[in-house]
Amino acid sequence: MSGLKLRNVKKSFGAVDVIKGVDLDIEDKQFVVFVGPSGCGKSTLLRMIAGLEQISSGDLFIGDKRMNEVDPAHRGIAMVFQSYALYPHMTVRENMGFALKFAGRPKEEIAKRVDEAARILELGKLLDRRPGQLSGGQRQRVAIGRAIVRHPDVFLFDEPLSNLDAELRVHMRIEIARLHKELNTTIIYVTHDQVEAMTLADKIVVLRDGIIEQAGSPLELYDDPDNLFVAGFIGSPKMNLLTGTAEAGGIRLADFPEHLVPSPVAVPAGTAVTVGIRPEHFDPTGSAALDTSVEIIEHLGGETYAYARGAGSNLLTIATDNNRTLKTGDRYQARFNPASLLVFGKDGKRLR
Amino acid sequence: MSNPLALLGRVATYALLIIAAFVSVFPFLWMLIGATNYSADIIKGKVTPGTALLQNISVFFNSVDMPRILFNSFFIAGVGTALTLLISSLAGYGFEMFRSKFREKVFGGLLLMLSIPFAALMIPLFIMMANFKMINTYQAIILPTVASIFIIFYFRQATKAFPHELRDAARIDGLKEWQIFLYVYMPVMRSTYAAATIIVFMANWNNYLWPLIVLQTNEMKTLTLVVAGLTSAYTPDFGVVMVGAIFATLPTLVIFFLLQRRFVEGMLGAVK
Repeated sequence: MSGLKLRNVKKSFGAVDVIKGVDLDIEDKQFVVFVGPSGCGKSTLLRMIAGLEQISSGDLFIGDKRMNEVDPAHRGIAMVFQSYALYPHMTVRENMGFALKFAGRPKEEIAKRVDEAARILELGKLLDRRPGQLSGGQRQRVAIGRAIVRHPDVFLFDEPLSNLDAELRVHMRIEIARLHKELNTTIIYVTHDQVEAMTLADKIVVLRDGIIEQAGSPLELYDDPDNLFVAGFIGSPKMNLLTGTAEAGGIRLADFPEHLVPSPVAVPAGTAVTVGIRPEHFDPTGSAALDTSVEIIEHLGGETYAYARGAGSNLLTIATDNNRTLKTGDRYQARFNPASLLVFGKDGKRLR
Repeated sequence: MSNPLALLGRVATYALLIIAAFVSVFPFLWMLIGATNYSADIIKGKVTPGTALLQNISVFFNSVDMPRILFNSFFIAGVGTALTLLISSLAGYGFEMFRSKFREKVFGGLLLMLSIPFAALMIPLFIMMANFKMINTYQAIILPTVASIFIIFYFRQATKAFPHELRDAARIDGLKEWQIFLYVYMPVMRSTYAAATIIVFMANWNNYLWPLIVLQTNEMKTLTLVVAGLTSAYTPDFGVVMVGAIFATLPTLVIFFLLQRRFVEGMLGAVK
């Protein structure tokens, strides 16, 4: 019983509003990822849940209890920091047992819990070392171990993988997913990396400028974004966004004026729109087409991406169904199904 | 190496270093040699070791109540250093960790006060101590030094390298602010404390003017005052003065060499 409820939560530093009214429900045992560009307020929101920043207005409930004024130590949370924040003068064992020692737990219980966490994270051999003697990945595991030992209702992760190299990051990402299964608790995870968000989350919360742009499952956000920001943010490579104007029989794109693209939704003629199509939604068997000239080719082995343009200067990213013969300078007909297009209005909102 | 200009540069560098080394080391040497000579020889400028060491030491110990004086010096310097470090590092921690509209203004005001010379504070301070009936007490020496602006500044600068996330982690682990200071901040900043210990201990140990004014009876005097007092006789016995100077210098030397490695780390602001 440790879901979270945020009701019209706001935060301002002096005259600057950082969080501008967030309403959010997080279910028990859910893995929720806050994602957004830097400065969007995702870390601040997490720190408010942790109790490290005061909530300017609104209510925070963990379980059924209002937690606005409760001490961080009594909220039933544990936090893993980007810089790990291990106490450098203590051994791994002391680091992990520190909170319990301060809570006045008996020595045997502390030892038992530390050993249990060490087993889960395979830290057994490192228990008597100090953080300075550990690698980045090991330190991160100790930081997670320190959180596990407290048996929290909610785990908070603040960009935990940002300081690791690419290979280790993938490895730790899998570890964290496994941990969520094993511990079976609520996790709130902050990242700016949308791949981490897509792979880990039960629910993604996309933030921008202190407000929630959209919240939903990874595939909901991918398939059905509410606005241009979410459409551009979720998915890798990024969605292609092309400006155009609605006409009687479809949409005329500024970069491809020779075609009239069939619109999947009814748009009044004369409306300025932005059309989104994901690179992977180009399909050689599609019924519509854009004529492009290829500027750059990227062979990834399993897939070949073409960066191509029409009449305008915008480069279109196209997954070519692994067309290995394509060369720079080739003409390429990028085919697609009109149903896979997403159309956005002038205000950035999705037209459905 | 064949470049004559480069060679000349090296010769000049070494010459300068030799002069600097001589200037720094000669007083020590003079003190050590002087302690072994009779006063008359020292005045003549004798620079070779003599045979009067034991006599000088015995005269020194006969004319000075050494255990008492050493206790005074160590008590004042020791307690003074501990209190200064505690109070000034607390202030430095507070200035760096807590945001406030007035923080920089107050801090700027403090730094401005560094420019007030002690001579200007001496008389008001003496009147204050007299009003508190603290003349000729240890606390008269210790209290005015415990909030050292320089050490507050030094700790604030060093605290900039202290990771704020450690404080956050400690808060989540359930520590109160004073516990964070005691169990996290102080151990993490031990190099800074070591460097500050040397600076403050030396300053307290060598402090002369203020103790001279406030400590008025012989049994309260510190070693610095006593050694200075030896030279004020009509015909000072310089051999004995040198023995006193050795005793007065020894503790700061010992502390410096004990904490030297940490001192250098602290000066570099290294926090690991």
